Amino acid sequence: MRSRVVITGMGVVSSLGDSPEGLHASLCEGRSGIKPIQLFSTTGLGCPLGGEIKDFDATKFLGQRNLRPLDRTSRLVASAAQLALEDSGWSAEMRNSEELGLVLGTMFCSVHTISEFDRRALDAGPSYASPMDFSNTVINAAAGQTAIVHNLRGVNTTISTGVTSGIAAIAYATDLIRSGRTRALVAGGADELCFESFFGFDRAGLLCRSDASIGDFPIPFDARRNGSALGEGAALLMLEDAALARERGARVLGEIKGHGSSYDCSRGHNDKASIEAIASAIRQALNDAFLLPHEVDCLSASANGSVAGDRHEAQGVFVGLNGQTGGLPVTAIKSMLGETLGASGPMQAVALLETMRDGVLPGILRLEKTEDGFPLKMARAESQEADVTNGLINSIGFDGHCCSLIVTRPDEP
Amino acid sequence: MVTSIGTGREQFWKNVLAGRSGASAVESFDTSGFNVHLGAEVKDFRATDYVTNLDAAHLGRASQFAIVAARLALVDAGVQVDKLNLARAGVSLGTTSGEPQEVERFDDHYVSQKLNSVGAEFVSRYPCHVIPQHVASELGFAGVNVMIPTACAAGNYAIAHAYDVLRAERADLMLAGGADSFSRITYTGFARLGAIAPEICQPFDRCRKGMIPGEGAGVLVLETLSRARKRGARIYAEVAGYGLSCDAHHMTAAHPLGDGAARAMQHALDESDLQPEDVSYISAHGTGTQTNDRLETIAVKRLFKDAAYRVPISSIKSMLGHTMGAASALEAAVCALAVFDNRVPPTINLNEPDPDCDLDYVPNYARELPVKVAMNNAYAFGGNNASLILRKWELSN
Amino acid sequence: MSTDEIKARIKKSIATITNINPEEITENASYKDDLKLDSLTILEIAVDAEYQFKIEIPEDDLSAIRTVSDTVRVVEQYLCAQAA
Repeated sequence: MRSRVVITGMGVVSSLGDSPEGLHASLCEGRSGIKPIQLFSTTGLGCPLGGEIKDFDATKFLGQRNLRPLDRTSRLVASAAQLALEDSGWSAEMRNSEELGLVLGTMFCSVHTISEFDRRALDAGPSYASPMDFSNTVINAAAGQTAIVHNLRGVNTTISTGVTSGIAAIAYATDLIRSGRTRALVAGGADELCFESFFGFDRAGLLCRSDASIGDFPIPFDARRNGSALGEGAALLMLEDAALARERGARVLGEIKGHGSSYDCSRGHNDKASIEAIASAIRQALNDAFLLPHEVDCLSASANGSVAGDRHEAQGVFVGLNGQTGGLPVTAIKSMLGETLGASGPMQAVALLETMRDGVLPGILRLEKTEDGFPLKMARAESQEADVTNGLINSIGFDGHCCSLIVTRPDEP
Repeated sequence: MVTSIGTGREQFWKNVLAGRSGASAVESFDTSGFNVHLGAEVKDFRATDYVTNLDAAHLGRASQFAIVAARLALVDAGVQVDKLNLARAGVSLGTTSGEPQEVERFDDHYVSQKLNSVGAEFVSRYPCHVIPQHVASELGFAGVNVMIPTACAAGNYAIAHAYDVLRAERADLMLAGGADSFSRITYTGFARLGAIAPEICQPFDRCRKGMIPGEGAGVLVLETLSRARKRGARIYAEVAGYGLSCDAHHMTAAHPLGDGAARAMQHALDESDLQPEDVSYISAHGTGTQTNDRLETIAVKRLFKDAAYRVPISSIKSMLGHTMGAASALEAAVCALAVFDNRVPPTINLNEPDPDCDLDYVPNYARELPVKVAMNNAYAFGGNNASLILRKWELSN
Repeated sequence: MSTDEIKARIKKSIATITNINPEEITENASYKDDLKLDSLTILEIAVDAEYQFKIEIPEDDLSAIRTVSDTVRVVEQYLCAQAA
């Protein structure tokens, strides 16, 4: 008998705000966090835009403690964790007596720190390498730092599955609670915007080209799309055994009903394999949730403006839902947040929970014209009303990982 | 497995029992700017011997190790890939650095102001999630695919996850383990912390001066008992349970009272329905640093109490060096072999006992003894602790 | 470089690394007992001093540093040795 897993709190730090309500309002109004980057120089690169969190100051969330040991990624995670813990009521006293854990999805964690550490040693000699920075060169650093800041002594796992890392982390955490191994976990994902990863994506031709004409921006599902824009942030959910939430009178925001994942061995290069992998993840999530395709009330797509990726997703959803997509409201919030990698799926979850609360699904910013045969008829630029009991969240990597998550509105009290 | 003292189960186990050391002068980069020079690198490695579907030249070193170890594991298990339901075949691996040579190359270009030399493939070769992806793409495995980069404890985390996936019936077969390639960044960091031994890695010895960084990969084939029995597989051991915890204390130093480590061991024992006295052998984290070995001993005594003095506990890092994300996967393999073979490996180079480390570390020579239950302990930066318990399969219900 | 300049730079570096107000960093302050710093932070301060002043301090001298004035003294010693 597996336990039911509910969401009792959320924390988000994003280019469109650091509260779920604020993020949701911005998304529904069609405001974009994708702007010219100031964090580093993009001279010589093809894309000058990113979903940067301007003037990010972790002391706003963490107080005046010494933050030098934490790099940007760690600060994003620790800040989002602070918000999720406050939102769910998991006080410091509770964390003293319970082993509360953290499962964090991240694609790079701190490639910027890793690179800077290496470059200082190359430039000045290995004896000048920074010991403090070294502790942040491991990919589980942000999870470790956050555990120290917030006294999280339970399970502490980092999951790296590229773009899908955050949803994979939520799935991992869900299974640990279902099986009774633990009763509560903070779970989600984060990635920072930095020169090193940005350069890599730009060099790989994955970013939208900016030339002051249409196609400047990442426009998921649009026929004119030519790439994504990178973003950054952190989003964490407090997941609990439903019985524990009831025992302590916690406010329940939703339930993790099901999840599924698969791997596309062609890494995006074979249409048939890519579409089938996406469909398979969706089918597994539906089976896990004991739901049928027609019971899905909306889709939060992973689409980020990628030419092949968005097409694969649209077809994969059509196949995975047995063609029942004609009346399915669809959003793609990466149109406004950019591709936030490890944070992306959890941000989609936060936004979806807000949609469940107020019945409004954000539009897909700048969407005008989709390709012939595009099967998701209710993908539109404007926000739309949506009465969502069961929401499907897709998280799909450009290189093969596919995850799907089903989140359900809480039971009526 | 792929290690500095052998590739493949037979060679590896033979050399581990014989107490062979893989340490030698570092060759993969210039250590003249350092005051330490030893590493446990894998020599004479030819990926093309085993990487047949992908082009090895397009893969980072850790991915190559992982694919080779995976193929060897499948052969050792007698699994025929073409008979598998590939949609239900998965890969769960751990690492510390991912493909560090890719970012090191990026940095080389950066400091010489030649960033234009960085190719389009950087973002598809560097991030750590590509390692299990490459293994899966090589084999056609389309199921669960996860990288758990919990550094020096990653192998245990990855194997634990594979165990959970199988029990939840989300896969029929899982490849689980860890891989890391030798890394200038890792070496620089540990050297800067003063954690690298100048001459010899001697865990638990009074004169120990640190670890010797290494590289390699260890991959296990995990299946449910019913599937294994159905195909007549040789069973090395059964996964009895695992425990995870976080010190939440310090990024690089373990909790001074062994709190997190003891909790991880306790959770593992609880899940396995075992008492400390039931453990026949412990594979230690045993890096060879003053701090780790002392604190690890404290943690074992904290939980095992008097029984701590009766359980043999050895560190294969004395022979393999610290293979980072591969370490606990290789140590899990050793536990499985110990359980199967009723022999435990030594801690080599143990010459002078340390009063703070007074347990039975199986000094210098392997030992024959009945091994019913083996516990594998691993600790990582960030206070990540993981304990995995394997047992002889006939004893389980 | 004068002793006062060295002291000021070291205090500033400690402040950046630890978030402790430079005015609260007295010369005889012990890193471990007074400033309550762990060994990683203490090592970071030492390495940062080497990096800033472009000197190399042998491991034995590094590990003997206990107070802020120890750091100032060692930096002065190796700066002079370099100039000589």
